[in-house]
Amino acid sequence: MATTAGGRKLGRVMPTGRVLAIIVPFIVLLVVGGGTWYLYGALNPPPKQQPIAFPHPVHVETLQLDCQFCHRGAAIGPAATVPAVEQCMFCHKVAVTDRPEVQKLRAAWEKKEPIDWLRVYRMPDTVRFVHEAHIQAGFDCAVCHGNVGQQQVVQHARDLRMGDCVTCHRVNEAPTDCTTCHY
Amino acid sequence: MPKWGMLVDLDRCSGCRACVAACQIENNVPINTEEIVNQRRGIQWIRIERYWEGTEYPAAKVRNGAMLCQHCRNAPCEPVCPVYATYHNSEGLNTQIYNRCIGTRYCANNDPYNVRFFNYWEPQWPESYYHYLNPDVTVRSKGVMEKCTFCVQRIRRTERQAKREGRALKDGDVQPACVQACPTDALVFGDISDTGSRVSRLAQDKRHFRVLESLGTDPVVFYLKKVDPQHVGDAAKQPAAH
Repeated sequence: MATTAGGRKLGRVMPTGRVLAIIVPFIVLLVVGGGTWYLYGALNPPPKQQPIAFPHPVHVETLQLDCQFCHRGAAIGPAATVPAVEQCMFCHKVAVTDRPEVQKLRAAWEKKEPIDWLRVYRMPDTVRFVHEAHIQAGFDCAVCHGNVGQQQVVQHARDLRMGDCVTCHRVNEAPTDCTTCHY
Repeated sequence: MPKWGMLVDLDRCSGCRACVAACQIENNVPINTEEIVNQRRGIQWIRIERYWEGTEYPAAKVRNGAMLCQHCRNAPCEPVCPVYATYHNSEGLNTQIYNRCIGTRYCANNDPYNVRFFNYWEPQWPESYYHYLNPDVTVRSKGVMEKCTFCVQRIRRTERQAKREGRALKDGDVQPACVQACPTDALVFGDISDTGSRVSRLAQDKRHFRVLESLGTDPVVFYLKKVDPQHVGDAAKQPAAH
């Protein structure tokens, strides 16, 4: 009986075991890789393009401004707060008025419009994070926010999920009762 | 560590419901429409219960009583939670952790006071009301249980304020919204582990009782009985401690 090359049974060419040996690693790679990619994305959200390209390095590193010079709420309340346009104009009425980004600021000031800064750090709605308590306890802003003076565009510097918070609270003997943050 | 507790003087309560309104606003409690209330799914962390005695005018009497979470030291709602979303914390608060709650409603079913409320729907407010929401309180979403917290956000805020000023908490520093709103001073809030606090002293009054005490729930909300002027007896002769 003559057998052509194409007449061979598939099972002969690719035994089930070998098929699995090829496919399974692919699936595992897909799942592990996809999971890692997803987690990496979740932990490192892409930097947000702010309406005005505000350079933290110039203000923090070069000018040596204190964080709380602009983020005035940090030591006295729950929210650190983003400065009002008026706060920026405190200096920029006279300082570097020729830069295009500063002129955007001046335009907003003249139109009496707020600038819609995009929020980079936001806790879930069930969390009541209070800046004041952490600043009063003597923590530097950089503990959670990283070295903002090196970030041209502000990005997440730390995990800041509940495990991260609780670990730090345990180490520093801060309260870990649920109602410390959740209410 | 203080142990928070409350006292309701029924002799002073006029049933005006200012406490109810204050609580709804302070704690972002959803608006109860007629339809929702008719379905018995209305949410009121504190409510005024009204009881009538007699039917005709001179004889008819109304009795008002505030009912809120009793923050029982032996709370029936706590051990039935399968996910530990409700528990007793070191300050004597019966807590409800919204992000842990999975909405089994066991706690509400095992609660003899009817002071736990389930969110059957996503809370809705008219558009303009969203600006009135309290940023210090979580807006609860559909599928979680909620209840009186003794305004824990106010406790935390006052604690921070005291710390900032470098002092300990004083009696009367912490006032939940209902206590602050009460025009007749019928509600008193304070530390019941401090025998000198106003709430502790008032709870020693002869008129004191606790609701459904026979169940052994050991509530920390104390009530002072209403004295009936027609039956002035020993209780009326005792001067009020206010």
